[in-house]
Amino acid sequence: MLEIKNLHVAVDGKEILKGIDLHVGAGEVHAIMGPNGSGKSTLSYVLAGRDGYQVTEGSVTYKGRDLLAMSVDERASAGVFLAFQYPIEIPGVTTMTFLKTALNAQRKARGEAELDAPRFLKLVREKSKPLNISDEMLKRALNVGFSGGEKKRAEILQMALLEPFLAVLDETDSGLDIDALKVVAEGVNALRSPERAMIVITHYQRLLDYIVPDVVHVLSKGRIVRTGGKELAGELEKTGYAEFAA
Amino acid sequence: MTDAATKFIETYERERNSLPAADLPWLDARRDEAMKSFAEAGLPHRRLEDWRYTDLRQLLSKASLAPAPAHEGVVLLPTTAFDAIDGHRLVFVNGRFRADLSNLGGLPSGVTLVPLAEALRAPWARPLLEAPQASGIVALNTAMMGDGLGLHVAAGVRLGKPLHILHFAADAGAFHVRNLIRLEEGAEATIFETHAGAAAASSFADHAADVSLAEGARLAIVKVQDEAPSAIHLATLTARLDARSHFAHFTMTLGAGLSRNQSFVTFAGEGAEAHVNGAVALRGKQHGDHFVVIDHAVPHCASATLFKTVLDDSSTGVFQGRVLVRPDAQKTDGRQMTNALLLSRDAAMNAKPELEIYADDVQCAHGSTIGELSREALFYLRSRGIDEETARQLLISAFLDAAFETVANEEAREALRGLAANWFRLGGGAA
Amino acid sequence: MTAVRETVDTVDQLAGEKYKYGFTTDIESERAPIGLSEDTIRFISAKKNEPQWMLDWRLQAYRRWLQMEEPKWAKVSYPPIDFQNAYYYSAPKQNAKLASLDEVDPKLLETYKKLGIPLVEQQLLAGVAVDAVFDSVSVVTTFKTKLAEVGVIFCPFSEAVREHPELVKKYLGSVVPESDNYYATLNSAVFSDGSFVYIPPGVRCPMELSTYFRINEKQTGQFERTLIVADKGSYVSYLEGCTAPQRDENQLHAAVVELVALDDAEIKYSTVQNWFPGDEDGKGGIYNFVTKRGDCRGPRSKISWTQVETGSAVTWKYPSCILRGDGSRGEFYSIAISNHFQQVDSGTKMIHLGRDTSSRIVSKGIAAGRSSNTYRGLVSVHKKAENVRNFTQCDSLLIGPRCSAHTVPYIEAKNPTAILEHEATTSKISEEQLFYCMQRGLPAEEAVALIVNGFCRDVLQQLPMEFAVEAQKLVSISLEGSVG
Repeated sequence: MLEIKNLHVAVDGKEILKGIDLHVGAGEVHAIMGPNGSGKSTLSYVLAGRDGYQVTEGSVTYKGRDLLAMSVDERASAGVFLAFQYPIEIPGVTTMTFLKTALNAQRKARGEAELDAPRFLKLVREKSKPLNISDEMLKRALNVGFSGGEKKRAEILQMALLEPFLAVLDETDSGLDIDALKVVAEGVNALRSPERAMIVITHYQRLLDYIVPDVVHVLSKGRIVRTGGKELAGELEKTGYAEFAA
Repeated sequence: MTDAATKFIETYERERNSLPAADLPWLDARRDEAMKSFAEAGLPHRRLEDWRYTDLRQLLSKASLAPAPAHEGVVLLPTTAFDAIDGHRLVFVNGRFRADLSNLGGLPSGVTLVPLAEALRAPWARPLLEAPQASGIVALNTAMMGDGLGLHVAAGVRLGKPLHILHFAADAGAFHVRNLIRLEEGAEATIFETHAGAAAASSFADHAADVSLAEGARLAIVKVQDEAPSAIHLATLTARLDARSHFAHFTMTLGAGLSRNQSFVTFAGEGAEAHVNGAVALRGKQHGDHFVVIDHAVPHCASATLFKTVLDDSSTGVFQGRVLVRPDAQKTDGRQMTNALLLSRDAAMNAKPELEIYADDVQCAHGSTIGELSREALFYLRSRGIDEETARQLLISAFLDAAFETVANEEAREALRGLAANWFRLGGGAA
Repeated sequence: MTAVRETVDTVDQLAGEKYKYGFTTDIESERAPIGLSEDTIRFISAKKNEPQWMLDWRLQAYRRWLQMEEPKWAKVSYPPIDFQNAYYYSAPKQNAKLASLDEVDPKLLETYKKLGIPLVEQQLLAGVAVDAVFDSVSVVTTFKTKLAEVGVIFCPFSEAVREHPELVKKYLGSVVPESDNYYATLNSAVFSDGSFVYIPPGVRCPMELSTYFRINEKQTGQFERTLIVADKGSYVSYLEGCTAPQRDENQLHAAVVELVALDDAEIKYSTVQNWFPGDEDGKGGIYNFVTKRGDCRGPRSKISWTQVETGSAVTWKYPSCILRGDGSRGEFYSIAISNHFQQVDSGTKMIHLGRDTSSRIVSKGIAAGRSSNTYRGLVSVHKKAENVRNFTQCDSLLIGPRCSAHTVPYIEAKNPTAILEHEATTSKISEEQLFYCMQRGLPAEEAVALIVNGFCRDVLQQLPMEFAVEAQKLVSISLEGSVG
């Protein structure tokens, strides 16, 4: 699914990622943990194709294609989804309109027919329900005035609707209380499938109690310094990142 | 040519040789050029967009514009709001510096504080006077300036105590004061300015100040204008801010029958900050116009303007503001807010807050509100047992206080609050 | 490459083909001799079979105009207009009187079809009655009979002058006097046609009324005049659309619209202005110098202006409300999009004369390319106007570093019971918003269109349904060719 080789990334001339190697197969859930400033968010932005992140060395192959050569929306239509740590507010554009526009843009890019209004509405309702997203919330402008929990649930709803092959969840647990966290985690777990891969980026082990990863990586100072099974997360919870931060 | 303008031209012709530093050829040429441009344009009138709410030409047509006499005898000076704050003191009577009433002892070394005649001979003064002026009416001052102060603070020097300046109009007549202020790199100064006049003095005070702040310099000015109701007050401030400098200007307008305060701030270096704020409280037939132009000529500068105006009786308030963001002045932060309270049936307010934006990556906003005291708030206070007059004063004070809050110096802030309280007392509560 | 840059490139490829109304119709026409003189005016008046009083009114305006100067205060610049090098009257040649639509030149009908105007009555599914003005004359008014049943008069202006002189005499120039301003006065002298609407007391006009204006001829100025009178307790919604061929010369459009709302009447006036804006180098395009004013003459009357301004090289337009009747209400909702070298100076005036009058102004300016976009507005409260309320919101969106956006509000209060609030912001589309949309699969220009439509939402919601969809598309199209 995803093959990252010797990835070096600089921001404003400063090297943030210093040679990442990562292989994520279909159906796998990988957790990337690490202290603040280790390069976690940089990795997610590079995969999504954000401006200002210069790849100085290395390659990223996604489903056999050179991911780095694709534009942001091409990647999205090819099934790469990023759940943002800080979802942006878009005034005046209702969540519903946004979802429809995004879904149909992707369908169009893949040569599929656009969904008509009734079918779309049915689909959104079906996906919203388990996430406790009301019609009222869907009528509000995207992320405008949403609480932290609402923003994160809206991100998961988009993921459920767009059905990506590779989902990158950037600090999806940040700013959530335990109940909100559970709802979000259930939403994510419902999307786990043999053809879908996930990269869960988090600072804390807490999220991984609910989204149990197959592999855990520790990212520190731009490098993956340790890789292990899900028990590695528990270990980190006890020892902290001190040994990596030094 | 109006009579008023002609009078100024005649006075100039008569007195030009006795004006300060009249022997300097460059200055003589500058004055002549200025008088020529004034004579061509005449006094500003309402068909000029910048003067649409204050027709100076018409308003000055009946004013006594003969030069104010040199009042050399004993003069009974009023107390000022800032008297309690320790500082250096400069006194001007009828626009003339009075060394005998001033106290300039103990200035730190690196601080030059001299009368205009002397300042004009200093090398740093000339560029200030030769810079182009945003407002045409300054030409009158440039030609006629009779006195004023020159303040120069050397690099890194901090004027520890504030400078108190008192302008007192003892008699009727016109005077033209020019202040030249240059702060070198990292220098700091604070100025408290009070403008007052004898009750019977129909004076025409024409003030112009040119401020230049070098990199990292900081200047704060708090001005209180409380002249007699028969007085006319015209003041233009022109400030040029180099990189990372900080300029804070606060005007409190209480006096003069007619006043026009103009501020033109230009950012010349990145990372500078300007605050041009004010509080205005007028009554009777007073007319007060505040005109603020902030020119963001370079990127990464921030400006904030807040004016609070309270109008009683048949007074008129004017606020005109312009935030100009020039091409390439990216990352500008420009804010402008004007609020006015109309306390009487006959009061009127005109506001024109303008944005002129030629760069896209900027954050600019302005707002304006005009209204009366909130009836709900009044009712709420009264329902708690506060009498109506006290309730009104409370609300008006709170309204003005938001402007006072922008003054960094705590003692000055308190002084301004005291002035506001006094304004209520003088009004006898007859709002 | 930044996301914005990418947008620019993508959409630049589309530029130039986006003004889909740029065709011309090859149709024989009859014109007045070139230039402007009293003879021109007599010619126009004679062509229209006008009574003497109408001609006198025109001549009076013309003589006044000769004494006037072009206004210079707007933030627009253009080379001097040679008023002698233009035609002031041009009409498609056709049989003098038309008995039915079948007699209208098929080429003309074809043109309107291309413009998407359902001229033929059977096609009027939307229930919109249309008056179509082609160059200088009103070509056809549909649905006349049905409207006549309820007493609504909807006809070409020239017909109204002949058939309803008492109404025209009473209201013409009563809102915009013939000496009002340079362009309005010029219009008063040379106006050739336009629409006239009269809604009788208590009648709710059963359908939307609509006028499509089209400039076809070269070197021709268009000076239409619209007068809408809503009598006591009546209601009408009126839509106006404008297009012109793509030419490399500048053409003048100086219209006057007068609205009169009597007691409890309501007029809703919507405009989608899409005159040819000039090409991407700023060549050609319409000079749109328009005077629109509504008079809320009766108590509790209401006038609402909604405009979507995407066209014209230069726009100078301030649809205004005189709130004379106690309790009357004025509204102004505007989207003004400027692109390439377009210049827009537009806004409104809310003149509060009556007590308990209220007004609301929502203006959304979007500047792209090297365009200049100015909001200029006046809120004025007169001394005797008690309890006035105004809320004004002006937002500007800048797309690219070379455009400019200005806000010039005038707020004048002479009564303490007024509550006037004004807010304005200036912003750009953030990189973060674009990235977010593109991460969800939206191509760059679609992302821009989505965000801009969101920015304009408050105003789009005010448009009648059929117009809203068209306007929304227009917003997207105008910006597609534009960013940067």
